[in-house]
Amino acid sequence: MLSDIREGMALPPVVKQITQEKINLYAEASGDFNPIHVDESFAANTPFGGTIAHGMLNLAYVSEMMASVFGQDWSSSGRLRAKFKEVARPGDTLTINSTVNSIEDRDGVSYADCSFEVRNQKDEVVVAGEATAKLSRGQK
Amino acid sequence: MNYEQLTPGYEFPPTSYELSASLISKYMQAIDGRVNGFVPPLAITACAIATMAGSISLPPGTVAIHASQDLEFFKAVPIGATVECHIRVSQKIARGKMGMLILQLEILDQGKEKVQAGKATIALPTEERDA
Repeated sequence: MLSDIREGMALPPVVKQITQEKINLYAEASGDFNPIHVDESFAANTPFGGTIAHGMLNLAYVSEMMASVFGQDWSSSGRLRAKFKEVARPGDTLTINSTVNSIEDRDGVSYADCSFEVRNQKDEVVVAGEATAKLSRGQK
Repeated sequence: MNYEQLTPGYEFPPTSYELSASLISKYMQAIDGRVNGFVPPLAITACAIATMAGSISLPPGTVAIHASQDLEFFKAVPIGATVECHIRVSQKIARGKMGMLILQLEILDQGKEKVQAGKATIALPTEERDA
C-alpha cells in the first residue's frame, strides 16, 4: 500500500532466476540478438566464457518491483539511474532489494527516493542505483 | 555504421515500432511480469537500445557492454501503441583500451508527446581495433 511507504523502510525484496530461455525470450521481445546473449558457442570464446543476460533484463526486475509498489505512476513519472556492475548468467539467482531513503515534497507532490541493488547468489552486486517514484499528495 | 563514424552530435535515423500484444507477452514472460494493459517502461527502452545497437557494426569478437542507464518516464503507453525513438551520440570517451559511447535517447508517442528520455553509456574494448 502506498500509504504505508515511509522513510527508511525496505521494499519487499524480489527474487528472480536467470535462465537461457528467459534470455532468449527477452532477445525476441527487445530485438537484441547480440550473440553474447544468445549464441553459446560465440559467448564461450569471449572473456565472459558463456552467455550473459542483457543488462536491461536485470534492470527490468527493478522496474517491475517499483511498478508493483508504486503502480501506474511509476510508468508516467518514475526516474531511474542504474550502473551495471557485474554480469548475470543463466543459472544465477538475482535478489532485488530497495530502500526508501527519503520522501520529499516537490510542488505539493510527494516523491519517494529509493536506492536499489540487484545481487547474485554470490552476493555480488549486479546492478545498483537510485529510483524515484511519485506518491500521493502530501504523504510523508 | 561503424564505431569510428559515431561522433558527438550524430543522430541515428529515427525508428518506429509497434508495442504489440505478442511482443509484450514475450517480454513479460522473460521478466516474470504481469500484463496490466500498459507497456512496462523498460520494454520501450529495451527496443530503442536494441535498434540502436543493431545498427552499429563492431569488429569481430568485440562485445559492447551496457555500463549505465538513466531514465525518466513521462507517460504510460498502452499495449498496441506505436512509439518513435530518437537517439543521439552526446559524448565519446576513450579510456585506455576502452571506448565509452554516451547516448541521449528520447521516445515519443504517435501524438509526438514525450514518453521517456534518458542516457545510456555503452562501453566497448578498443584493443582489437588498435592491434
